Amino acid sequence: MKPGKCLALTGIAITGALTLAGCGSSGSGGSSGSAGSSRAELSVGASYMPRPVSADMAAGFLTITNRGGTKDELTSVTSDSAGDITMHRTDGGAMEEVSSFEVPAHGQLVFKSGGNHLMFEKLKRRPDQGDTITLKLKFAESGPLTVEMPVKSATYNPSTGH
Amino acid sequence: MRKKTFAAAALLAAATLTLSACGSGDDAKSPVTVVGEDTSNKPATILDTPFEKPDLVLTDTQGKKYDLRAETKGRPTLIYFGYTHCPDVCPLTMNNLAVAKKSLSKADQAKLRVVFVTTDPARDTPSELGKWLKGIDPAFVGLTGDFATIQAGARTLGISIEPTHKDKKTGKVVSVHGTQVIAFSPKTDGGYVLYDEDATVDDYTKDLPKLIKGENP
Repeated sequence: MKPGKCLALTGIAITGALTLAGCGSSGSGGSSGSAGSSRAELSVGASYMPRPVSADMAAGFLTITNRGGTKDELTSVTSDSAGDITMHRTDGGAMEEVSSFEVPAHGQLVFKSGGNHLMFEKLKRRPDQGDTITLKLKFAESGPLTVEMPVKSATYNPSTGH
Repeated sequence: MRKKTFAAAALLAAATLTLSACGSGDDAKSPVTVVGEDTSNKPATILDTPFEKPDLVLTDTQGKKYDLRAETKGRPTLIYFGYTHCPDVCPLTMNNLAVAKKSLSKADQAKLRVVFVTTDPARDTPSELGKWLKGIDPAFVGLTGDFATIQAGARTLGISIEPTHKDKKTGKVVSVHGTQVIAFSPKTDGGYVLYDEDATVDDYTKDLPKLIKGENP
């Protein structure tokens, strides 16, 4: 308990200090922050669903890029094609449901095979290769994004493209 | 207690991110990446000391007794521990094997045994397993049975699995799968090659003809 508490306090202290410094400089710098607009600017790429074995369960992958200077948080994923979509992180062989994922400022949130994934349950039917699943992503700050996720082969490998 | 440590780590991470976000513009070209770089590009590991084939007597998808050692003796055999309520790695691993298998001659396909042992026997009944494997390759063997037996068998191969349990926070059911496919030689019946979960269709397609003969890939 002790070390944990200590660490948390340090964290808070650092956050405070940085926020102070960051906001101070941006205030005095005026319009100099050309690339770093303060808001999160989100876009989605590299989305696909490997063709699942059945309509019971499927995985989906995508990358959310944030070009803005403020982090955001992915809070929900929904689709008319599936009864339930949840977000998971994988740790070794165990997966753990997560209620939200951070999209870091000037960074990416990556869902990829073997790591974070979207889990689709109770699909209306088993998707075929070539189908498209329409998703709605909701965020804590930014407006929702719609993603057209293509269904690829069951063994699709994004690094080779087949 | 664990939760607290985690919260602290998250706060620290947030602090670091705040730094890169609000820091001077020069830092902007080094974006924060959530996933680490994958440097290993060789998914197969040849073992100096092969594993003995686990002494597992379980139930197959027909509901019949299946003695792993007896049934796969002298056969090239690939074993994987996973579960059917697994969206990502388990079906990908089995589908990779199924697609790679198709590039073998019919005779070699008939020799190969691919055995999927469930880590979630309560949900993966023989018929559930059979239904799932039919969507991948009907010739694959699916085994279920007593969890403690399966866990002990997995442990002899260096694979550690936990029973399916409810996550305390979310109340959702959590299962665990192994992360390796182990290839057993038809010559020695020893498990001599390990494949990690980055192994692709191309890797298996390249290696299967060697594995069928018990040669090193």
